[in-house]
Formats: sequence, C-alpha cells, structure tokens
Amino acid sequence: MNLSVENISFTYPGGAEALRGVTLDIASGEAVAIVGENGAGKTTLVKHLNGLLKPTRGRVIVGEWDTREHTVAKMAARVGFVFQNPDDQIIERTVGDEVAFGPRQLGQSAPDALANATAALEMVELAAESGTHPYDLTAPQRKLMTLASVLAMRTPVVIFDEPTMGQDARGVALIGNIIETLKSEDRTVIIITHDIDFCADHFERVVAMADGRVLADGPAADVLAQADLLATTNVEPPQLIRLAQALGLPGAPLSTDGFIASLRRRDGTR
Amino acid sequence: MSGTYGLYVVRQTGIHRLHPLTKLVYVLVCLLIGWLIPGVWSPYIVLLIGVVPVALIARVLPEVIKNTIKTAIPFAISLIIVQGLFWTGGTIVRQLGPFSLKAEGLLFAIRGTGRIILAVSGFLLLNYTTRSDELMLALSQKGLPNSISYVVLSTLQVIPRFQRKANTILDAQRSRGLETEGSYLIRMRALMPLVVPLLLGSIVDIEERAIALEVRAFSREGAKTSLLVLHDTRFQRAIRWLLMLGAMAVIGWRFYLWLAPRLA
Ligand SMILES: Nc1ncnc2c1ncn2[C@@H]1O[C@H](COP(=O)(O)OP(=O)(O)O)[C@@H](O)[C@H]1O
Ligand SMILES: [Mg+2]
Repeated sequence: MNLSVENISFTYPGGAEALRGVTLDIASGEAVAIVGENGAGKTTLVKHLNGLLKPTRGRVIVGEWDTREHTVAKMAARVGFVFQNPDDQIIERTVGDEVAFGPRQLGQSAPDALANATAALEMVELAAESGTHPYDLTAPQRKLMTLASVLAMRTPVVIFDEPTMGQDARGVALIGNIIETLKSEDRTVIIITHDIDFCADHFERVVAMADGRVLADGPAADVLAQADLLATTNVEPPQLIRLAQALGLPGAPLSTDGFIASLRRRDGTR
Repeated sequence: MSGTYGLYVVRQTGIHRLHPLTKLVYVLVCLLIGWLIPGVWSPYIVLLIGVVPVALIARVLPEVIKNTIKTAIPFAISLIIVQGLFWTGGTIVRQLGPFSLKAEGLLFAIRGTGRIILAVSGFLLLNYTTRSDELMLALSQKGLPNSISYVVLSTLQVIPRFQRKANTILDAQRSRGLETEGSYLIRMRALMPLVVPLLLGSIVDIEERAIALEVRAFSREGAKTSLLVLHDTRFQRAIRWLLMLGAMAVIGWRFYLWLAPRLA
C-alpha cells in the first residue's frame, strides 16, 4: 500500500506550527526510519499517516484513500500505530483479550481474532502470558504487548513511535526481529527512533527531520554518513560510520561485514 | 506549562505580576458586588467594568470569553427553560404551544445567567493570571492548612492533565479500530474503552503522587521553607483593605435594604 504525503503543513490549535511543507512518498514494502531531535515534528508527521491528525494544508493519501475522508477507525485497517505509552489503552483483563481487541474492532470473527492475537503474542515472546492480567506484566513487557496488539491487526502498514525506548538489549533485539519479519512479509514499516545504530541495522531508508521540515531523505548509508547534516538534527551518525570516517575508510558501512569490506578495500587486500 | 500551574496562561503583564491575594480579593469582591446589588443587570455591569478591562490588560480576554461561554451556555439555556416557562403566575410575554413564557421568569433567568457568567469569568481570570502554586503559597502564609491547599491545587492541575490524557487514550483506541465518530449508539459503545484506561491511569497517577509527596516530607509537622518568593507591596496591601472595606459596605447596604422594610 503506497503512502503519499503531499506538501503538508500542520498547526496545532495551540498555535505551534509543527509541520512546514513535508513531502514524502513511501512505496509498499519499504522500511523507513524517521530521525530528528525532540520537537522536530516526527510524531506529528506519523499521526497524519493514519488520520489522527488531518493536514492544515496539503493532503495525505494512503492507498487511494485521502485521510480527510475516512475516520481513524477505518484507517486502522490499513495503518497500524504503536503508541509510546501502553497504559493509555489497556482495557481487557487478560493479555490475550487485550491483544485481540484491535482485530475484534476491525470486525474479525472471535476465532480469527484469537488466532491473530496468539500469533502476535508469539512474535513478542509473550505467548505464555496470554492469561495474565496486563497490569501484572513488567513495563517493558506491557510495551511489547501493545506492539502485539497492533501486529494482531495485520495491517499492510505498521508505524512504531520510539519502540526501543525502555527496552533492554534483549527487547531491542526482539523488536529488530519483528521488524525483519514484517519486512519479509512485504509490509511497510515506519519507525521513529533515537537509536541510530538500531536504525542502521534495520532500515534501508532514513528521513531526517528538523523544525517541521524534511532535511534529508535517502538510503540509510547516505543520510547517516552526513555528520554535519545530522549535527543540525542533534543526531549522531552510527558508531560504525563514525569509526570508518575516523579511519578514513571509503564508503559508509552500516554493518560489521560492510566495515571489514571497506577496511580491506583501503588496505588493498581481498 | 499549563499542566504545571493549573490553568495559568503565560503572559508578561502587570496583572500577572500582582500578588495572588490582591487578585483573589479583587475577584471575590467583584462577585460579591455583582451578586448582591439588586437589579437584573448588575452582574453584567460588574462584568463589563470589573472583569473585562482587567482581562484585556492581562491579555487573556479571548480565553476568558471562550471558556466562559462554553461553561455558562448550558446553565443559561436550562435556566431560561425552567424559569421562563414554568414561572407560576406573572406576565405572559409569548405563548409557545402549551407553554407560556413569563416576563418575571425570564428576568430571573437573565439575572441567574449573569451571576454564573460573572462567577465563571472571575474564576477564569484569576486562574489564567495566577500560578496556582503561588496562590496556594499565599493562602498558606495566611494560615490555610497545607492539606486544603493540596486538594485545591491538585484539582486545578488535574483538569488539563485529564484532558491531555483523555486525548491520548482516544487516539490510541481509534488507532486500534475503535469507532468513536457517528451515531449515539456508536459513541456509547466507545465509552468503556476510553473510560477504563482513564480511571486506571488516574489511580496509578494518584498513587505516584502520594509517594512523591511522602518522599518530599508532605506530612511533616511545622512550618516549611518555600522556594517561591511572593512579592507584595504596601500599595497592594492598601488596595486589598480598601476592596474588603468596599465589600463590607456593600454587604451592610444590602443588609439595610433587606432589613428596612421589615422594621417599618
Ligand atoms: N498536542 C499538541 N498541542 C500543541 N503543540 C504540540 C502538540 N504536540 C506537539 N506539539 C508541538 O509540535 C512540535 C512537534 O512535536 P512532535 O511532533 O511531538 O515532535 P517529535 O515527535 O519530533 O519530538 C513541538 O514543538 C511540540 O511542542
Ligand atoms: Mg515524538
């Protein structure tokens, strides 16, 4: 499902102009990371993709649908949105029911919703907790449950707002695996993150934002290698790229293998 | 900012810099005069000369007007319906099917609405221009117990917090496919998934606040040192006394008006 953001601006009722002319096209199956400092407008932008916010100017098209013409609940069948704080949505008494809430709202039959919920809980490694009360989970587990509750809706597009925040290394790796699975299923993945190494590990395309505008948009290696541009967004290039640049290596390696390859290239070995 | 200081609207004006008690006394005296002076239009007159100019100087007039209307309209409508149509006896102004609109009832409703508008706009004016923590500090310096200040202060702060929280919950549930727009039935069905997280969230919130208060020695006896320093001036103290004297005079006069016919 193609997403098309056409020169949108958005001003909050309070007066803050959070987006100033953003254009972005995301093709079906792409994995895009949005980076930028706090207040850059990242959350405001992604809230436009499922219609939570409607642009003050310009328009947003989600697979032929103009977001202004559909309710958020309708858009939810196309675009899943994982929120930052799980406690803002928990209403069921068991983890399993909670994760099945979304699919039920989308009109799935009880057995289908249950099957999707179970599969989603397996992805976040919480299948064993399906009978537990959500409030008896730890905070990082609750966040994974929230993630599962969106995965269970099986939307073609999935948006994560800072999913790795508050997770330990294992949780981060788990979320990385989930993103790889979604990519292998050809679903569109959009993430907001401050974790640049995570971004380099899993995303082919990076959008850097500052002050309500898109500063850079392109292949991860290109965008993440521009130290001066990232500095204006208060984001540091990934460790590997910084190391490669310090060593004067050619290219901008995003993986250890890429790093070794460019090291060899410089030294003229195989 | 508004979350921290109740309804406070940040502006750099002389009104904002006044001592909290000066504004509190001023607003209370305005209410008293508007409520006590006889006449259907007296609340409106006090509103026009007492509240509106001050709100204008403090640059919060649009906010005051907007939120006063939001709060007062339901009251005004119900007052007009109940008092205007169901007033017993009185002069009929207009016949509406089986109901008759009475002049006396209408005047009563107009005065009642005026009183509500005056009270709401005065309350908003005070809270838009005064940080709630400074108001509470001023009151506890005059001997108000800390626990009462806390209840008042947290109630003021809870309103904007509650609104923000409710919006986040609404967003999260709509994003999971919960339909909240449309017929009455649809909106009724959406109520539970919105209210449950709001209530559970508030309980967690209250617990966290209680712990935060305890570790800051809230229940400790005796005087506390405040980091806030309030600026008072002799002029403002004089004004406050004058206002209170004026209020006393109005009360006395009103009492005399009430008493006189009974003595005659
Ligand atoms: N609900 C809101 N009301 C008013 N202003 C807001 C609201 N949410 C965000 N803003 C403002 O919009 C700007 C962009 O915010 P946001 O999109 O949350 O940035 P980011 O996600 O990049 O940190 C900020 O200046 C922020 O203060
Ligand atoms: Mg954000």
